[in-house]
Amino acid sequence: MSERVLMERSRSQRIKKTFREIIADYPLYIMILPGLLYFIIFHYLPMFGVSIAFTDYSIVKGFGDMNFVGWKWFDRLFSRKSFTDALFNNIKYSLLKLCCFPLPILLSIIISEVWNNKYKRVVQTMVIMPSFLSWFIVYGILKALLNVTDGVLPALMTWMNTTLGTNFEIVNFMTNKATFTPYVLITYAWKEIGMGTVVYLAAIVAIDQQLYEAAMIDGASRMKQIRHILLPSLLPTIITLFIFRVGKVMDAGFDQMFALSNPLVTSAADIIDTYVYRVGLEEAKFSQATAAGLFKSAIGLCLVLFTNWMARKVDPDSAIM
Amino acid sequence: MAKMHAVQGPKHTRGEKIGQVIIRIFLALLVFIMVYPLWYVVMYSISDPRLAMQGGAFLWPKGFDTYNYQMILKTNQIWISLRNSVLKTIVGTCISVVLSLMTAYPLSLQRFRGRKFFQGMFFFTMLFHGGIIPTYLVVKNLGLLDSFLALVIPGAMSAYNMFILRNALQAVPASLEESARMDGAGPFRILMQIIAPIVVPSIAAVALFYGLGNWNSYLDGLIYTSSLKLQLMQIYLRNVLAATSSVNAIMSSVGEQSTGYLSQSSTEMAIVVLTVLPIMIVYPWLSRFYVSGLSVGAVKG
Repeated sequence: MSERVLMERSRSQRIKKTFREIIADYPLYIMILPGLLYFIIFHYLPMFGVSIAFTDYSIVKGFGDMNFVGWKWFDRLFSRKSFTDALFNNIKYSLLKLCCFPLPILLSIIISEVWNNKYKRVVQTMVIMPSFLSWFIVYGILKALLNVTDGVLPALMTWMNTTLGTNFEIVNFMTNKATFTPYVLITYAWKEIGMGTVVYLAAIVAIDQQLYEAAMIDGASRMKQIRHILLPSLLPTIITLFIFRVGKVMDAGFDQMFALSNPLVTSAADIIDTYVYRVGLEEAKFSQATAAGLFKSAIGLCLVLFTNWMARKVDPDSAIM
Repeated sequence: MAKMHAVQGPKHTRGEKIGQVIIRIFLALLVFIMVYPLWYVVMYSISDPRLAMQGGAFLWPKGFDTYNYQMILKTNQIWISLRNSVLKTIVGTCISVVLSLMTAYPLSLQRFRGRKFFQGMFFFTMLFHGGIIPTYLVVKNLGLLDSFLALVIPGAMSAYNMFILRNALQAVPASLEESARMDGAGPFRILMQIIAPIVVPSIAAVALFYGLGNWNSYLDGLIYTSSLKLQLMQIYLRNVLAATSSVNAIMSSVGEQSTGYLSQSSTEMAIVVLTVLPIMIVYPWLSRFYVSGLSVGAVKG
């Protein structure tokens, strides 16, 4: 009995102590308040706002007057061909872009193999250049490069056809549905590969040089050093970035698709995010669009939790949570 | 034997030397592919429009003419759009950096109660978001639609950048903060006068992330604003690229007859160059801080 009283007392003292500490540090809470409010208003309110995916929300009536409709909007989504097409494209581009994940790793290894440090630095500074451009700028550049009448690529193809005897068909790649997938992938790789090398190159620089020296004394070839020293040292970074990448796998690239798409290729360029934008903001079907967006976010969340769980089993240090 | 001694530094086999040559040629080609498209656009935009239209301005301009730039810079809208984008970049970045720093600093202190909770709460926003429609409704209900604030507030902070700052702040020795606190300084003063100056490189990197993001962003402008007074440069560019005869629209808005001298392409390319110019001006700093900032961010917290 008395023990319990003591425990109760010590607990209440602990709470009091915590409380005192919070009071003493109140300026810190004032400091974090704007950030807290920001995340609540612009991130957590919208999270609860997804509830309109289950109601018949209309912009005219507002939040006060809406009824719960269950899975109606989700059922309707899957009966629409425009949505299932967008979902199919989304998965296609997601997976193809995920296949580009090793490209920056490869490029980083190649860059790190250059002996001349200055050469290395210049290459690194130049390959990240396209990452700084917005997709509208990239689209403008593509318009210039691919223009059938005066563009570089058609000119190059014509030249190759006449002098090398190749047989390229000169089409407008921006509006050609058949070549749209490689067009999306190549432009994506061109823009993103450089930025991907930054973190890997930093990780490669951080590798203990003594490991290499020991390997060289043992007579290991350059390839063997890459295989047995570089790659294992890089693995935690690769896994961490891979988890983040998988968490974003459902983001098939709104900015890119939005910039590159045009009426002639809509059916090939539509992904869930562009579908949400079109249905929600152009047709003002808020509940329907929110349902589509929620469907995507929920899958993304499940994927990142799953990959994180897997990573934790393989190597607890590389998990992100 | 004599030849071997002539080689300086570590000895390289012949195979390795050949490998070096192959690697360097490959990388040189890659750099060309990365840089050339933008180079071509610049060359095209300063070429004589009629000559450029026949193709061939591949490496150097064909003729030289800046009539397209002159016409574009005569329109009011380009200046309005440029002004909005510059304002959004400067004001937005300042708000973002201050907000992120104020959020990151308490989280970097071990003694801060509720640290784990706040961190978890902010981290979760990186994994799940409500989507553009619910966010749009929040902005709408706050009465921010079609205002400058809608361009800078809804995207003011990214949890990712905030955590980069927190990691940098955590690396500062705790004793600095403690001794300043003993002397009676409050957290705002400690942060501004003692801690922040130490992590200036990280702050600069984060500021550049935000700055570039602000310059390149368009979605906020597209969704939250509709008036031309608030149009961003990126959206101006998008509209020009989407229209088939923006050149005529530009000519008529400055009261000139379209003589057919200026081509649509040459107009488009000039606007691409104008949009990309600010980035290219700060590129040396941008690339350097980007590299150091991302490398810092790679260290997990």
